[in-house]
Amino acid sequence: MKEQISTDKKSPPGIFSLLRPYRAMIILLILFALFSNGLNLWLPRLIGHGIDAYNSGDFSYQTIITEFAAIALVIFILSYLQGIVQTFASERVARDLRTRITNKISNQSFAFIERTNPSKLLTNLTSDVDSIKMFIAQAIVSIVSSIFIIIGATILLLSINWRLGLTTICIIPIIGGAYYVVLGKVKVLFKKSREVIDWLNKVINESILGAALIRVINSQQLEYEKFFNASTEAKTIGVSILRLFAWLIPIIVFTANMAGLTILALGGHYVIKGGMTIGDFAAFNSYLALLIFPILVIGFMSNVIAQATASFGRISQVLHAEDPAETGTLTQDLTGAIELQDVSITYGEKSSLKDISFKVEPGAKIAIIGPTAAGKSQLLYLLTGLIPASSGKVLYDGKLIEEYQSEAFHQQVGFVFQDSIMFNMSIRENIAFSDSVTDESLEKSIATAELKDFIDSMPEGLNTKVSERGLSLSGGQKQRIMLARALSLNPKILLLDDFTARVDPQTEQKILTNITANYPGLTLISVTQKIAAVQHYEQIILLMQGELLAAGTHEELMSKSPEYIQILNSQQSTSNYEL
Amino acid sequence: MNYNLNSLPEREAKSSTWSGVKSLLKLVEQERKTLVIALCAVLLNAFLNLLGPFLIGHTIDKYILTKQYHGVLVFTGILFAMYATAFVSSYFQTKLMGGLGQRIIFELRNAIFNKIQQLPLAFFNENKAGDLISRVNNDTDKLSQFFSQALMQFISNIVIMVGAGIFLLIINIKLGLAALVPAIFILVFTKLVSPWIKKKNALNLKSTGAMSAEIQESLNNFKVIIAFNRRDYFRQRFDLSNRQNYKTAIGAGLANNIFLPVFGLFSSIAQLTVLSFGIYLITQGDFTVGLLVSYLSYATNFYNPLRQLAALWTSFQVALAGWDRILQILSLNNNLVTISYDDTQNPTDALLEFRNVHFGYPGGYEILHNISFTMQHGKTYALVGPTGGGKTTTASLMARLYDPLEGTILLRGKDIRTYSPEERAEKIGFILQEPFLFTGTVRENILYSNSLYHKISNAQFLEVLKEAKLEGLLATFDEGLDTAILSGGDSLSIGQKQLIAFMRAVLRKPELLILDEATANIDTITEQLLGQILANLPKETTLVVIAHRLNTIENADEIFFINSGEVTRAGSFKEAVDRLMHGKRLS
Repeated sequence: MKEQISTDKKSPPGIFSLLRPYRAMIILLILFALFSNGLNLWLPRLIGHGIDAYNSGDFSYQTIITEFAAIALVIFILSYLQGIVQTFASERVARDLRTRITNKISNQSFAFIERTNPSKLLTNLTSDVDSIKMFIAQAIVSIVSSIFIIIGATILLLSINWRLGLTTICIIPIIGGAYYVVLGKVKVLFKKSREVIDWLNKVINESILGAALIRVINSQQLEYEKFFNASTEAKTIGVSILRLFAWLIPIIVFTANMAGLTILALGGHYVIKGGMTIGDFAAFNSYLALLIFPILVIGFMSNVIAQATASFGRISQVLHAEDPAETGTLTQDLTGAIELQDVSITYGEKSSLKDISFKVEPGAKIAIIGPTAAGKSQLLYLLTGLIPASSGKVLYDGKLIEEYQSEAFHQQVGFVFQDSIMFNMSIRENIAFSDSVTDESLEKSIATAELKDFIDSMPEGLNTKVSERGLSLSGGQKQRIMLARALSLNPKILLLDDFTARVDPQTEQKILTNITANYPGLTLISVTQKIAAVQHYEQIILLMQGELLAAGTHEELMSKSPEYIQILNSQQSTSNYEL
Repeated sequence: MNYNLNSLPEREAKSSTWSGVKSLLKLVEQERKTLVIALCAVLLNAFLNLLGPFLIGHTIDKYILTKQYHGVLVFTGILFAMYATAFVSSYFQTKLMGGLGQRIIFELRNAIFNKIQQLPLAFFNENKAGDLISRVNNDTDKLSQFFSQALMQFISNIVIMVGAGIFLLIINIKLGLAALVPAIFILVFTKLVSPWIKKKNALNLKSTGAMSAEIQESLNNFKVIIAFNRRDYFRQRFDLSNRQNYKTAIGAGLANNIFLPVFGLFSSIAQLTVLSFGIYLITQGDFTVGLLVSYLSYATNFYNPLRQLAALWTSFQVALAGWDRILQILSLNNNLVTISYDDTQNPTDALLEFRNVHFGYPGGYEILHNISFTMQHGKTYALVGPTGGGKTTTASLMARLYDPLEGTILLRGKDIRTYSPEERAEKIGFILQEPFLFTGTVRENILYSNSLYHKISNAQFLEVLKEAKLEGLLATFDEGLDTAILSGGDSLSIGQKQLIAFMRAVLRKPELLILDEATANIDTITEQLLGQILANLPKETTLVVIAHRLNTIENADEIFFINSGEVTRAGSFKEAVDRLMHGKRLS
């Protein structure tokens, strides 16, 4: 459903490339693992020597205990160190990878975030990074030591008796084949289960974000049914995966046991015929036991690797997304003169704005009106540079918006969004959101947005925390905080997106007067539903279905635009009372 | 009730491993039969696995060393039969135990979701969405990993270990006891460090939740971050929680990695004990070399699973930490229960009545002070007043999203708390200030939880909409009823979302319909259309309108001022306008 970030399927950078900066750590990790594994192989030999020594009469408690204890202690230290290095390596890779992803995201455009979908990016930063962490914490060490053991054990087996050795190592391809078949089938199911998990998460997310609606409508049962369906599907897939694995493990054990039987029958035959000593025979059995576990480990780890590789692929897509080129160099002060020349925005076949042109003089007050879904918000997004024009020019002081350095540009353009966006921080931080805000401009913006009384009434004043999504604030309060946030920048241009919708007329009136008084020379572009409040504006732009229907002063529109008159008529009752 | 999950009182007593296990065991209660069969399969499998080396040893001693190849073949046959049985039992063991795990996690997942559905709105206000989502997804996932993978190994390892322990003790009690002494140290060690490890993991899960909440917040509000030049803010805030997460993850990782070396060390010590004490016993004439060899392998059989248990134990601790966080949710109760008694005095025939209602959000000041008013059938009421005066709060109380701290709210003369949620939802419609849409289509969202029109075709549905005069509202949607809605309705404007919410509420035909700035972002022409639709509703429908536009107030039969937590009635429209326009704000 969602489009891929990059469609070209050039060979993806291997997951091992990720490890390069951590080479020293990984090598240390592998060394610790190999040493402790090697020593672990030595312990049984020490015991054997002990028994042999007892048999030959020169057994010494002191030697055996000191040697054994020394090796056990070294193993303990090595494996403990291995654990530490493993933790640091995997967590550091995870931390750095997360930082890289967020740095990448933080440089991206708004369009990129919308296109790739925030929840997908969340998955990249959490579960995808987790599976890479798992890969480093478990897979690398296990696989290296498993290969080490398998090769060692195979060489030993072949050197003792190559014919019996060959029959024994037959189990490796058989077990490998079983893995190949089962994992091949499981892979399809894994993919399905990922989809089901996405589905589950979607239902959970919506049930949390839409909690209020669900409680009003009392549709908890319906949500539960939705969840139940997804949950049942997840169970069904889980059981199918399990059924495949339920075959895999017995097959492996059985194959290994068959190898044991072969050793017993064939080796027994050799021993009876005198072709093999009983000691070698016993050694064969113990090496077989050694051989099986690493095969199992590699099998399971191949799954971890597969998941990590898939996760890394998804992450690489984000990491390799192209940075939006910062072309702008202009840092000059804006006067507030804006011009749009034949601007269109198209999404595929649909266009949300068509050939819009208009001019705004510095310090002018402009209103944009029009029905729902006319493209009003889109126009404001365009003016802030949040979305680029598909064609046409957006000019500030006669220069293309792209030519301005974005930081300097945003510093001078304040935007009050239509939807209330609050961060889980104090009111002070929510308003002084940009770090260039001085105490003075903060105070001025608070006074202008008529927030002083409200803030004083809060338990901790400006330091009161706003909970996520600002649930404890009223709609109007949130709108006014957002206005103060924009004003605290001391902007030259202020864009209001339906600001007055949730503020009562009396407060609205006061705020607009405050703005004119406190921010002289401010260019104001206001998307609004109420004509009365903007009647005296220098220009009123009427948008309808993405097209500029008419533009001009109130009087001009009254004389030339029937649609404008229709809208005005729909508001007659309000204008009677001179808002 | 305190619904803030991050400030719940520490449940020290409950955090021991055993009580965690006990509460987990309750989940498997109805699965007892499967559990017994699965355990039988595990036992059989373990027994066959332990018997194998013994029979091989026996064959070597009895037949290979005495060169009787026929006996070797006979025992090969016996072993083959045994292995075949083990094959079958092992298959069933995995299938039954794994199936059990899947069912437990299924039940658990459903139980959590169901619990969350039962909790009132206050719960969602006091917890961050990102944190809740992380709890429900990540923490159940940790449990699910444990149940689907580790549990089976856990049980079969315990069985093998116990079996080997019994063999050890039977063969030679003295040496057996000596061989098991290190295991006691391991047990004590495990008991001592487990709470610490669990705590470390819980801290890590908590910071993971905080991190994902952070990411969620920033990504969803990215446009503000861009427009206010705060890309660095996003990086800084994330960096902070990332570093915090790194710290706790290192803590948890170091704690988790402590078991394996310690277990390895003690199992080596056990082997050394067996070897030296065994040789001592041989010199005393109490033991033989042959027995010592098989003894060593049984000791390995005892300590190897123990070592695997060490690895599993950490995943068990992680699962328990997740389980604790889930239990926190499961232990919460809905404080908005339906009561069966009704001690209302002097019932009236009004549709809705507030009697001396006081209200404040948890941890905040009182927002509504001693409010009383009545609303009659079939009338339209406007709630007006400055922002933050308490209008939405009053409306939320009408729909019983919260209960008043003091006082009573009566619906049709009966305490609103006596109505079941079904009845209440049927009688009261509430168009919320912030419209919410589900992923799907416009049609699905309009008909959300509406059983009346659920199965009808698009053509029939259009007829229904036409009858309710709602049809015109569909014009702004490109593909009409079938217009797709992506997650969170991002593809639509707020005005469009409000239109859908409006249609959704009107089609449910409530007796009391509350519109909380429900049309604030809709243009005035469309709004006139909405006005006609509302006028077209059955005569006895009562409307409560919260709006800032005067025309909505003009159409009201009565006007209530809500300001500084007090509700007063305006005598006339003129008075209302005067007060709105020129009145002094008290806040």
